[in-house]
Amino acid sequence: MRVVHLGAVAMASALFVGVSGSSAQAQTICFAFQDLETEFWVAGHKAITTTLEEKGVRVIERNGNEDANRQLEQVRDCIAQGVDGVIIIPQDGESAVTIVKESQENDVPIAVFNRPPSDLSRGLVVVADNETIAQQAVEFMAQKAIARFEVTGEKATPLIMVGDLGDPNAVGRRDGFFNVMEKYPQYFNDPIEVSTEWDAATALANLEAAVTANPDVDFLFTSSDFLFPTIRSVLEPRGKWLPAGQEGHVIMGGLDGDATACQLIKDGFVTATGVQDLFFEAEAAMDAILTAIDAGETQPNQVIEDPGFALTAANLDVREMDMWGCVLLAEGFLDQ
Amino acid sequence: MSTIESGSAPAQVGSKGWASPVRRVLLSEYFVLYLTIVYFLILLPFLPTLSNPQNLSNVLSNMWPLLAVAVGQTLVLTIAGIDLSQGSVIGLTSVVGAALIATAASSDVLSNSVLWGLVITEQGGLFAGKSWAVPAGIVAMLLVGALIGLINGIAVALLRMPPFMVTLVGLIAFGAFAIFLTQSENIRNLPDAYIALGKGDIVSVYLGEQSTPQIPRRQIYSFITYPMIISITLAVFAHFLLSRTMFGRHVYAVGANRRAAEISGVPAKRIIIQVFVFSAVCATIGGILFSARLEAGRPTLGEGTFLLDVIGATVIGGTSLFGGKGKIVWTFFGVLFFVLLSNTLNLMNLSSFHIDMVKGSVILAAALLDVTRRRLLAGGLA
Amino acid sequence: MSILLETRGLTKSFFGVPALRDVSLTIHEGRILGLIGENGAGKSTLMNVVDGVFPATDGSMFLRGLPYQPRSPADATGHGIAFIHQELNLFSNLTVAENIFVDAFPMRAGFIDRRSMRRETERLLASLDLEIAPDTLLDRLAPGERQLVEIAKALRSNPQLIIFDEPTSSLTARETERLFEVIRRLRDEGKTLIYISHMLSDVRALSDDIAVLRDGELVGSGPAEELDTSRMIELMIGRELAQLYPPKTAAPGRDPVLRVAAMTQPGVVQDVDLEVRAGEIVGLFGLMGAGRTELARMVFGLDEFAHGEIRIGGTLLRGQSPTDRIEHGMAFVTENRREEGLLMESTIADNIALVSLASYARTILRFVDAPKLSAVAQQMADDLQIKAHDIGGQPAKSLSGGNQQKVVIGKWLMRQPKLFVLDEPTRGVDVGAKYEIYSLMDRLAREGSGVLFISSEVEELMAMCDRILVMNRGEVSGEFGERPFKQDQLLRAAFREDLAA
Repeated sequence: MRVVHLGAVAMASALFVGVSGSSAQAQTICFAFQDLETEFWVAGHKAITTTLEEKGVRVIERNGNEDANRQLEQVRDCIAQGVDGVIIIPQDGESAVTIVKESQENDVPIAVFNRPPSDLSRGLVVVADNETIAQQAVEFMAQKAIARFEVTGEKATPLIMVGDLGDPNAVGRRDGFFNVMEKYPQYFNDPIEVSTEWDAATALANLEAAVTANPDVDFLFTSSDFLFPTIRSVLEPRGKWLPAGQEGHVIMGGLDGDATACQLIKDGFVTATGVQDLFFEAEAAMDAILTAIDAGETQPNQVIEDPGFALTAANLDVREMDMWGCVLLAEGFLDQ
Repeated sequence: MSTIESGSAPAQVGSKGWASPVRRVLLSEYFVLYLTIVYFLILLPFLPTLSNPQNLSNVLSNMWPLLAVAVGQTLVLTIAGIDLSQGSVIGLTSVVGAALIATAASSDVLSNSVLWGLVITEQGGLFAGKSWAVPAGIVAMLLVGALIGLINGIAVALLRMPPFMVTLVGLIAFGAFAIFLTQSENIRNLPDAYIALGKGDIVSVYLGEQSTPQIPRRQIYSFITYPMIISITLAVFAHFLLSRTMFGRHVYAVGANRRAAEISGVPAKRIIIQVFVFSAVCATIGGILFSARLEAGRPTLGEGTFLLDVIGATVIGGTSLFGGKGKIVWTFFGVLFFVLLSNTLNLMNLSSFHIDMVKGSVILAAALLDVTRRRLLAGGLA
Repeated sequence: MSILLETRGLTKSFFGVPALRDVSLTIHEGRILGLIGENGAGKSTLMNVVDGVFPATDGSMFLRGLPYQPRSPADATGHGIAFIHQELNLFSNLTVAENIFVDAFPMRAGFIDRRSMRRETERLLASLDLEIAPDTLLDRLAPGERQLVEIAKALRSNPQLIIFDEPTSSLTARETERLFEVIRRLRDEGKTLIYISHMLSDVRALSDDIAVLRDGELVGSGPAEELDTSRMIELMIGRELAQLYPPKTAAPGRDPVLRVAAMTQPGVVQDVDLEVRAGEIVGLFGLMGAGRTELARMVFGLDEFAHGEIRIGGTLLRGQSPTDRIEHGMAFVTENRREEGLLMESTIADNIALVSLASYARTILRFVDAPKLSAVAQQMADDLQIKAHDIGGQPAKSLSGGNQQKVVIGKWLMRQPKLFVLDEPTRGVDVGAKYEIYSLMDRLAREGSGVLFISSEVEELMAMCDRILVMNRGEVSGEFGERPFKQDQLLRAAFREDLAA
């Protein structure tokens, strides 16, 4: 479930960086997130307050504490306060639909990002295309594997850490991975699937079992970067946790792009991570809502696709600061 | 003798003259209501939005589901019990009801659910499309709720297990069962008639210009709604049940002293079972209101800090955790206070860091006032 | 015979209501003062002032001739005054030694010095002839032993004045006798003692001097030999009381209301037959643990029994349900008023109404006809002369023991039962109220109810009963149907096997 938290920081960072947004004149925006009692909260909170001063947009924050009913009540209280627009990171797709409807019925434009409503037809919805993002990262990893095949002549043994398949994000990421695998059957053995249910403990147990059964795994994709420490604790004792260039290096990649992943790319352990371009998402949500407010639109509906990108050792120099994890890293997040 | 009397009497009169109105307010049945009003008036100059009709309409609408659940809790606390399973009753019954009455469902989301294919399919729930779907769904929910209450009641009354343990296990087990049923997914596409129970207006108010050709939606405020009618009906029923009937007298007696009540011929076991069933039924009604306003059956409804709101509001209202003392009116005021508190904290635009600290402090202050008041009530001297 | 403590014009008011008025009392060193008075007479208030729990409103005290104004109980302890309360202040989960030292553990290098604690405890226990190990957990001790532990705790600070408040209310006769020996010995060692009690016979047996309080005033005091029991009672209740017991006006009828046959529960009661006729008061006497209360609980459907028959007015009762017994016209005043008899926090009116709610419930929802019910309850309270100013607002716990007992009886009277089972109805009740309860019992019989009167005070049974059954170890060991009863015969039946053994 860690995946869900990313949005706020992206949002915050987007504001911090300074979005080229519409002209805002003392507008008030209600920012309702589902739960931020995590490491990202500190950065997010700071950035939002900074932006308040810079842009003259007043942001009212609301923490729903993972309670959909509370989030609904909070958005309604926001509306009662006369906000000009609402941006939410919803608890889940179903409550998102209800909240979007509530807001629009009260003539307040609303934008949703990070986790899409189960009905995309209403509201300004920013949707990350998990399949494309995963595909980009795995493609980059695959090229490395093919290069290795050219030298050794051995097919790679791939492994995927699958998320909770009740979560559409997890399904898309898995699909993206298999798209690449099916593209290059001549270079890859059949992939091993390890179920994680988005839970580190489950992931640890299942990965231990899978690696014991298949000691020759040399290509690993995790559906979320938050599992890298878990992966490390399994691979390191087996002598498989090695940076690129060393004999026995496992080609690894993931998705989300947190601070740990950024560091691991820099250190050569991880080859690529697919990044939901949350700067883009937050910026898009902000832009869309401010545009709607300026235009006097009260019930704007639009689906905005986030294509994402793969952060790799190759493009690290250029795109490092587009990835929220690296921004946190640069701010000394991992040192705390 | 005479010197003593003349010495003590004036002091007495003096202290009475000062203390009397304060004492009267502190000792009043309506203490929590006064507290709420004072709190409202103190904050009003700082939070002008507070008295804005739309905000008042929000406060009211947030009150009803919580009130329904707290009414049940009041009875359980009055028999010196506690019902933690209310949270899971809300989640489970909302899932059961939604699975039966949903008008459509997505296989992407629900195909892992145990109910898929049996109760709910692409075409919706078992009752989908039937004219009697909503009432039948509600009856099913109430039956499931009542069954859980029955299990709790039997465990407490007949097996003499501590209510805290019984209902804690219920909270965990039935909550997990609800999540298992849908594999943690929510069930959408509830019929409009059901959704209306959670937010349907009966009387709305427009306070703007008469001449405006088209009234903007956000200037129409709902005041009398279905949830209000449902909750208030339930509360009034429970009020009469508790204060005017033999059942109510028995509830107080069992809570005050179960052994003495049994010896006096009070069927304590039956009363305990009935109270737990009533509590679960109230939770189910709360669950109907919650799931209707959120437009989905949701296994995780009632999780987290929700129960603390229910028990907190009930106890702040004045119902004793030790049994024997409880009134529905008190709970009504307690719920009003809690809901207003949450609302004002939202309006203060505090940072998320501070909001729960402030909430805790206000509740603590209220509890302190209440303790002082009880000491006075107990006639605490000197 | 020097004066240890003297109070002069001591007055104490609570919210303008005087609890003590102008009490001037002298307490002589090395003697036992019996302090008596009805509930609410001011005994506890007086002792609380002496013990520093609260200050007097007016007046002064002198300890060995010096002004004495204790600021707190600890201060009083420092002046050599110890107070042993009615409700014991002991922790049942701690050992005897820990209890004795709980407010002042001997320390050594930052740790509790267990060895010296144990040694000191042994010394204190030995001085009371109490042969228990200092490490025994308190909850393993009998009530009498606990009482002695409390005394040992008080003796730790080597007090000069020890105040006992109703120390024997939970003790057996033997434990009481043992306690008296200890108290006398303390007196002989030069300590001064104040002994507060309802039990006039105890006070007579023990005291050197007696002081009587009534309505907060000292109405009499002097050497014990100058005050006989009837004079004590007169002083306490403020009127002449020719006798302790009212004259019997009821005569037993012919029809049996209760017939118990061959009642047996292994280890508790054995083959008990019992009959109570209308208008008859049947006494049930025995030592503690003889099975009296247990029998009553079985009859009332509270406890199970292996076999036997219970008939009320000829109807055979089945099952085990107090509700059913009540329907058949039975009433039960339990020996444990606080835990089983009353809803202490509820109002007097609610308590009186509890058993008869069904008769005032209307419609399917069983709405209670509250105005009618409270009127009837008020009538009952007036009839029984319950001393309360507002029965609808005042909790039962605010009443004195005697008035509480009247509430319990009134609750049952509302249903006009055919059979009253009264288990120790006069326990913890003062003399005046006892008299009223006896009168009430006589009235019940006169109005045609059968009464089963359980007591461990043989005198009251002899005075009130038409017939007395004595139980010993679960069996009926004697039945006496002829008034006047002979006390030695009753006691002999009660002690039967113990004497034989």
